[in-house]
Amino acid sequence: MEKKYKSSDYAHVLRLAVIIVVAGVLAVFARGMFLPDTMGQYGHYRGSDLVDQRNVEIRSHTNESCYECHRPIRLIHKAGVHKTVSCEFCHGPYADHITDGKYVAKMPVKRDMEIKTLCLRCHNKIIRARPEESIKVVAMPQHLEEKKVNIAHNCNQCHMVHDPLLWVKAAYDMMGLEMKGEKK
Amino acid sequence: MIDIKKEIQKDRRAFIKNVLSGTIAGSLLMVIPAGAALDERLPEQLPGMRGDDSPFTEKKFAFVVDVTACIGCGSCCVADKNEYNVPDGNYRTWVERYVIDDHDEVFVDSPNGGLDGYTEPRKDIPYPVRDTFFVPKLCNMCEKPSCVQVCPVGATYKTEDGFILIDKDRCVGCGYCIQACPYSVRFLNPVSRTAEKCTWCYSRVRQGLLPACVNVCPVHARKFGDLNDKTSEVYKILREPHVISVLKPGMGNQPALHYLGLRREVV
Repeated sequence: MEKKYKSSDYAHVLRLAVIIVVAGVLAVFARGMFLPDTMGQYGHYRGSDLVDQRNVEIRSHTNESCYECHRPIRLIHKAGVHKTVSCEFCHGPYADHITDGKYVAKMPVKRDMEIKTLCLRCHNKIIRARPEESIKVVAMPQHLEEKKVNIAHNCNQCHMVHDPLLWVKAAYDMMGLEMKGEKK
Repeated sequence: MIDIKKEIQKDRRAFIKNVLSGTIAGSLLMVIPAGAALDERLPEQLPGMRGDDSPFTEKKFAFVVDVTACIGCGSCCVADKNEYNVPDGNYRTWVERYVIDDHDEVFVDSPNGGLDGYTEPRKDIPYPVRDTFFVPKLCNMCEKPSCVQVCPVGATYKTEDGFILIDKDRCVGCGYCIQACPYSVRFLNPVSRTAEKCTWCYSRVRQGLLPACVNVCPVHARKFGDLNDKTSEVYKILREPHVISVLKPGMGNQPALHYLGLRREVV
């Protein structure tokens, strides 16, 4: 005799189906809750992060920003061979000085031997990897000996840091001499 | 507490209205991005970027580093550290010094990532030096980035205009991307415990400024521009005959960072 199946015989399957459906609904709900709204807007990432990334604070400005206020230095710095050197390299980032258009703190100024360290950071001949076309390098203290100045002299005693050849050129002019290998 | 209870009992409806409107206004303020505090008087270094609010630009940016011009001053590293307050010991960009002796042995060093500049010559080279030069390194912004592929949470992604960025809110700090990057440009920020790397200064670029390192380079060894613009310097360099190469071309990542005058010894 064939066995008659009662509906209760399928109860375990039904239970499993209910559990799966409930778990699925919960999973969809949880996914909606935990995933950021803009996830997948443009791809597998949070679309609103593009906006966040664009609003990352800009702390370094350009030399032009500094020239807005520092007029006398602008005239010297812009005319000299150091015109490509960033103000912020020696003096620190703009944002430490001005925030929201307001003055917040004084910029550090390098003094004494710090200046020499800073000059030699680029101009030291002992580092041979520096291409001659890019930069004029000097050996220390041979440069001082060659120019017949006191060996204890600091760079900024002959070279104005914002335009290194300003005083040198003036001195040559006063003496009525031509500068050798002058670079424009 | 008693005051609040009194307030509620006085007019329940008005109280709920006030609380709700306050919450909505507060959350809206958090959603609306704060206006960028950029001085509009700043010169626009990348034309056509300001006022472009679309999520992706129509541009195709490329970075060119001229190895034959770099003097290893470390201006770029200083600018980068200033711009992003990069934690000590980690570098978004750094400058390597290569020394090759006449027995073809290659010596590479990068004291503090070039942040303090190069003050001392290498003294441990056994034979006369044949060639020596600086190689600045930064994110290669690959066409096929390995880091994006491995990220399990979708925290690192490639924008349609070619930037690879990291969503620091989604990053879980698993470090897969750090291992996957063939150029080792990624690091785990010890403070936020999330992955970080050079972004080619995405925020600056979107506001019409050059990346911080390009802006400060005194010898113009770093060049940045749009390849869709046929008058840009990078377009001219990459389309005209020059010695151009990318790092590890065999990896197949197709970097958008190109080197001008790179020696074959560089990895």
